[in-house]
Amino acid sequence: MIDFLAYPFFQRALLAGLLTAVLCGSLSFFVLLRRLAFVGSGVAHAAFGGVAIAALLGVPTPLGGAAAALAVAWATSRSSGDSSVSEDTAVGVFTVAAMALGVVAIGFLKSNVDLFGLMFGNILTASAADLWFLAGATGAILLLLAWYFRPLLLSSIDDEGAEANGVNVRGMRLLVLSLVGMAVVVALKVVGILLVSALLVLPGAIARPLTDRWPGFLAGSIGAAVLMLLGGLVFSVSVDIAPGAAIILVGTLLFLVSLALRRFRR
Amino acid sequence: MTAEPVPVAAPAPQVTTVAFRDIVVARDGRWILCDASFDIRAGERTALVGPNGGGKTTLVRVMLGLLRPVKGTVTFLDAAGTPLPKPRIGYLSQRSTLSPDAPVSGMDLIRLELDPRPGLRPAKRLDGEARAALSRAGLSPELFERPVGQLSGGQRQRVLLARALAGSPPILVLDEPDTALDAEGMKTLRRIVAEEVNHGRAVVYVTHDSDSMGGADAIWRVDGTVRAVPVS
Repeated sequence: MIDFLAYPFFQRALLAGLLTAVLCGSLSFFVLLRRLAFVGSGVAHAAFGGVAIAALLGVPTPLGGAAAALAVAWATSRSSGDSSVSEDTAVGVFTVAAMALGVVAIGFLKSNVDLFGLMFGNILTASAADLWFLAGATGAILLLLAWYFRPLLLSSIDDEGAEANGVNVRGMRLLVLSLVGMAVVVALKVVGILLVSALLVLPGAIARPLTDRWPGFLAGSIGAAVLMLLGGLVFSVSVDIAPGAAIILVGTLLFLVSLALRRFRR
Repeated sequence: MTAEPVPVAAPAPQVTTVAFRDIVVARDGRWILCDASFDIRAGERTALVGPNGGGKTTLVRVMLGLLRPVKGTVTFLDAAGTPLPKPRIGYLSQRSTLSPDAPVSGMDLIRLELDPRPGLRPAKRLDGEARAALSRAGLSPELFERPVGQLSGGQRQRVLLARALAGSPPILVLDEPDTALDAEGMKTLRRIVAEEVNHGRAVVYVTHDSDSMGGADAIWRVDGTVRAVPVS
């Protein structure tokens, strides 16, 4: 393990992991608080369709992924305002539609698309340019999250009270989904669609059983994401398995430990 | 419920009248309220009475801005009759909107309610106001920082009452408070209502029993529209 630390590719992977962990760990707090695990995962999967369509049209794939993720986030938020369509129904419909369009686009593509890379990513191949992009975008998203933290938190725990206090509750829901969409695209190249979905759900799920107050929940979510990423990377290079899968497995293990500790606390 | 009463700040409330004019509300093609017009005044206890489904809570939700009427206006006026922006309204809802799963304490919740605007500001500056509101609502100080999931139903309702009182809003709305508070809680609430009215604030309560808050200065019967009921 110590040997690996000397390699620039591994140093870049660690840094990419840390940035992604802080970003996704912070968002995971809101994803869990607002019960958006399925929605967050759906928005992440919708990026797949956007990436494939962008590849077909010859435009930068991150742009396509961002457009699809944000479009599904927006459509979900709009539809859920209609009492006859629940949020999970809306995301269920729009996500599969975006993915189906992606599959159609891939069928028309002449060049080969690295589907495995798209789904699982490879953090060990993160370049310096990827890191700069990741750092800049993570900073911008975290700044937005910090600025809107108060209305976001209040509308997450008491939407009626928040609305009566002048908070734009629908706007806050759209903001969370949009930030999730942006985070997906930012982290996509480094960690892949499946891992991004996992990182949006698992850190919060690991932290929640261990605390009943939001500061601990938020800090725990970020900490769990860091543990997942770093633990997964170490696990990956130690037994020579795909880093994405290793990170998810470490996260799942931490989740089970967290549930066990919750029982112990009671 | 043994906490000592805390002195109440007495700001000069600016809103003296809430004027409801020709309010029409419909839902799913059905009329809930037609041409409801009446006033709520500062320094008075106003009771909204009437049968279930008559539109009492709907009127309250229109005033809070949670429901947009098909027609009509709710205007907040000062003593000279000049319209003012909607002030902060203290609201205790009929059923608890605070989930026991919410990862907050009473202090956390009230800090957020007192200042929900975006921006980077320390929350601790609101601690004094939050503590005063929780004390007035009758919550013991050792429960202030306890997560709401670890409080009993009655204690959670006191947190919500404190949320309504925090920041001394000029209007306090209580939606059937007797359904969620125990006898001791109702005693505390009657004392608070009397203090609020003495400080010139408007107290509105939705009720089946207009005497539940120690009487009313104005009673409006809400049953599809609003009619005045003589106060005996």
